[in-house]
Amino acid sequence: MVEIEELKRLFPRAEIAEIPYEERGYHLSIAVEKGDIPDVADTFAKKGCYLFDLFCVDYLDFLELVYFFNNHSAPYRIKVTTKLDPEQPTAPSISRIFTIAHWYEREIHEFFGVFFEGHPNLTYLFLHEGIDFYPLRKKQVKVSEEDKKRLMPKPPGEEEDTFFINLGPQHPSTHGVLRVILKMDGEYILWAEPVLGYLHRMHEKMAENRTYQQFLPNPGRMDYMGALNFNLAHVKAVEKLCGIEVPERAEYVRTITCELNRIGSHLLWLGAFLADLGGLTPFLYVFDDREQVLDILEAVTGSRLTYSYFRFGGLYNDVDGEFIEKTKRFIERLRGRFDMYNRLITGNVIFINRVKGVGIMDEALIRRYGSSGPVIRSTGLPYDIRKKEPYAAYRDIDFEIPTGVNGDNMDRYMIRLKEMEISLNIIEEAINRLPDGPYRAEKLPKKLKPPKGDLLSTVESPRGELGVYIVSDETEIPYRMRWRVPSYSNLMTFPELARGCLIADAIAILGSYDIVVPEIDR
Amino acid sequence: MTDVLKIAVEAIGQDTLRVILGLIGVLILVVINALMLTWAERKVAGHMQRRIAAKEVGPFGLIQPIADSLKLLGKELITPMKVDRVLYFLAPVICFIPVLVSFVVIPFGEGLQVRDINVGILVILAFSSLSVLSIFIAGWGSNNKYSLIGAARSVAQNIAYEVPLLLSLLIVVIMVGSLSLKDIVEAQKGMWFILYQPIAFLIYFIAGVAETNRTPFDLPEAESELVAGFHTEYSGMRFAIFFLAEYTNIMIISAVATTFFLGGYLGPYLPGIVWFLIKTYFLVFVILWFRWTFPRVRFDQLLNFSWKILIPVSFINLIVTGGILKL
Amino acid sequence: MTFGLACCAIEMMATAMARFDIDRFGAGIFRATPRQSDLMIVAGTVTKKMAPTVVTLYEQMPSPKWVIALGNCAISGGPFVFEGQYNLVEGVDLLIPVDVYVPGCPPRPEGLLEGLMKIEEKITGKRRFPVPDKRW
Repeated sequence: MVEIEELKRLFPRAEIAEIPYEERGYHLSIAVEKGDIPDVADTFAKKGCYLFDLFCVDYLDFLELVYFFNNHSAPYRIKVTTKLDPEQPTAPSISRIFTIAHWYEREIHEFFGVFFEGHPNLTYLFLHEGIDFYPLRKKQVKVSEEDKKRLMPKPPGEEEDTFFINLGPQHPSTHGVLRVILKMDGEYILWAEPVLGYLHRMHEKMAENRTYQQFLPNPGRMDYMGALNFNLAHVKAVEKLCGIEVPERAEYVRTITCELNRIGSHLLWLGAFLADLGGLTPFLYVFDDREQVLDILEAVTGSRLTYSYFRFGGLYNDVDGEFIEKTKRFIERLRGRFDMYNRLITGNVIFINRVKGVGIMDEALIRRYGSSGPVIRSTGLPYDIRKKEPYAAYRDIDFEIPTGVNGDNMDRYMIRLKEMEISLNIIEEAINRLPDGPYRAEKLPKKLKPPKGDLLSTVESPRGELGVYIVSDETEIPYRMRWRVPSYSNLMTFPELARGCLIADAIAILGSYDIVVPEIDR
Repeated sequence: MTDVLKIAVEAIGQDTLRVILGLIGVLILVVINALMLTWAERKVAGHMQRRIAAKEVGPFGLIQPIADSLKLLGKELITPMKVDRVLYFLAPVICFIPVLVSFVVIPFGEGLQVRDINVGILVILAFSSLSVLSIFIAGWGSNNKYSLIGAARSVAQNIAYEVPLLLSLLIVVIMVGSLSLKDIVEAQKGMWFILYQPIAFLIYFIAGVAETNRTPFDLPEAESELVAGFHTEYSGMRFAIFFLAEYTNIMIISAVATTFFLGGYLGPYLPGIVWFLIKTYFLVFVILWFRWTFPRVRFDQLLNFSWKILIPVSFINLIVTGGILKL
Repeated sequence: MTFGLACCAIEMMATAMARFDIDRFGAGIFRATPRQSDLMIVAGTVTKKMAPTVVTLYEQMPSPKWVIALGNCAISGGPFVFEGQYNLVEGVDLLIPVDVYVPGCPPRPEGLLEGLMKIEEKITGKRRFPVPDKRW
């Protein structure tokens, strides 16, 4: 798809280098002048790439903007960087090419003070008026008066026949503390905008304050539903960075526990989605099953929700026969329950009428937003990191990726149900193959001092493509740790999908993303 | 003692006394019914959701609703700053009166009727339409956007479902040739009307569930969409009155269904009132059952269902029935 | 009142579900609007952006009213307190009066039930269940 020769011809001023993927997690690095950024983005957009992530790193001498591009057919991750002047950081906006950049650029603006030329709305997204410095800058930089004016939220103008509704931050169906401003014409939504940051817990700032080990509990609290997957992303990144080998047994146990966690997360989504549609009873049924998952995981991890089970080079402790036995029993149990769910939910006429043909997504939209997970598999793209860039024991296990056709709520529902079944198969397979041996690497250094460099590590969380980008400066503390979370790019499609919808449908769409707000807010 | 009573009865007039006693009885029934139904709803919900629900307060948690209502009595009555005071206070009152009046004409058993009015069903229908007004007033007066949307939904919904409800009852009225509820019950001595008119019963019941704003038609108070709909801003006792009215409405809808289609108080062996209550509470249970099984319909689907399906079907049903009766 | 902020909210939901069934004590009706609530369970981290909302919601509740701070975040900021933090309210008791603190990260559903018992004890002066054996 992307050829280096062609890129060299197109951007003669750029420094293009191939990167060993196994070590760094991406394939190609391109350093360009900031003026070339829109052209580069345009080129990749035409090639069918999506913007995986966009963030900023403060190197004191200069600010570096990092763009990650990837495509859905064969993973080829491209890192594009550009240097900015720390005194007056400005960069051209690419929000017209990749719509998701609109949100990433707002985030960078409030956290680093980078001004994006041509961006329509650089107001506060995560932060609020009380914070008068750029939090993620290494040296404290005060927010200038001019910038403060720019950051102030603009009051939306009332018009004849329309009114505004504040959905949240305290609303029963925003799954936490998301706030969505809706402009309504009666029951129809004309315009929507999410406001984030009600649960911004400064995870990225915290990472720069503590050692790699001390950061271990944090990822589980970012996405409490898929805590183990987040835990794994962090552990995997640091292991790659330090070159720690993980024993085979640990890899398999990681796979099993992650899949159990995924089932738990999908089950809760199922209940919450139905509750959004007004059916409260399935919520209790799924919790019944979910409690079984929690029991199994609690026995090995010691916690019900915010797991921190994986350690660098292995696990916290080994699984025993009882765990295997319980897991096997759970597989049997849940397989029998799908039939009940189908009878209870899938066949219900009201349910079908509520979800079919609502919230339709297509591939072009997905590319503009870089969404991932079940949300994009509903459009028919079989994109799953577990398959495309296998990690842990997924490389040995064969499994299928369910895809949808229409990209509507019904497809997203069916895919999640199917994914649970497939997760059961994966667990069964992994248990059968579970090797003996140590569960933790021996000879681990007491203090982790990874070599200088940067690295990207990706994991398929229950919600989609999760990425961790770490910059190390040879100390025990990460220089910068960036979390690319799947819910963020999934949620941002909401304004576009909600336009023209009834409020009831909008809530169904919001529910179908399976968003976890602390993950978005970080 | 008996002399005093006799004099008193003569002074007030037997009929008036009957109405007064009846109203007191109805009031007690309404309160007990609502308390029992909140308990029943929690228990039904609990058991459908594989849990036991209220059990700590009193035997089987039976004291729970009383404890809850005492708590609600003791709560502070907040009047939010920006509400329209007159409407805000008026809404719960308007909500409660019609449900009381409706009970006056319902025959609970043979002779157990506060007043047999020859236009009985008209009284019920006329007064039950009033509850829409109260919901609208509550929504408008609260000065809250969620309440307002809930109120607007409620009005649209009630207008849409009033029509099929009336049409399906009209069929029975045509068959009996009387508007008096007592006559209608007596006409079912041989056979319940549900067997003659299953479609009318079905339409009536669906429309009735919609009239009471219960799931799957609970759009005016759709919790996941509108927080609490029209009563978002109501607290304490005022909120309790809305709750009371909602449960009493369920009871009325079921009682009317029993009277019109299930033979009212008629039944072998047991006294009439027992049969009446068994039938009514069975229908109430079905309504509760709906709530804990179905998801909510969407607003446009709700209206389409009424205007495009229920109303044409009930018209056809009416014409066919009329034709057959004429032959 | 459903006031789920973060991780603890999931455990709060779990408490209402079949296994723990908070409704046994008659506390199962979660109302979405503050006007109809008696008890506010602050389940999760309160950020500075969220703080005004928390206060407003508390003030919208009709008295008598109670507050449970569920989880370490709501008690003190929990694991997210560090030097130079810029977006955290270190304990919800800085904003509103709290009656019962339930520690844990997140607390187990049993913890929340115990918190509820404590509220009851506070109101009635009596404890519903005997205190379990000290050996445990």
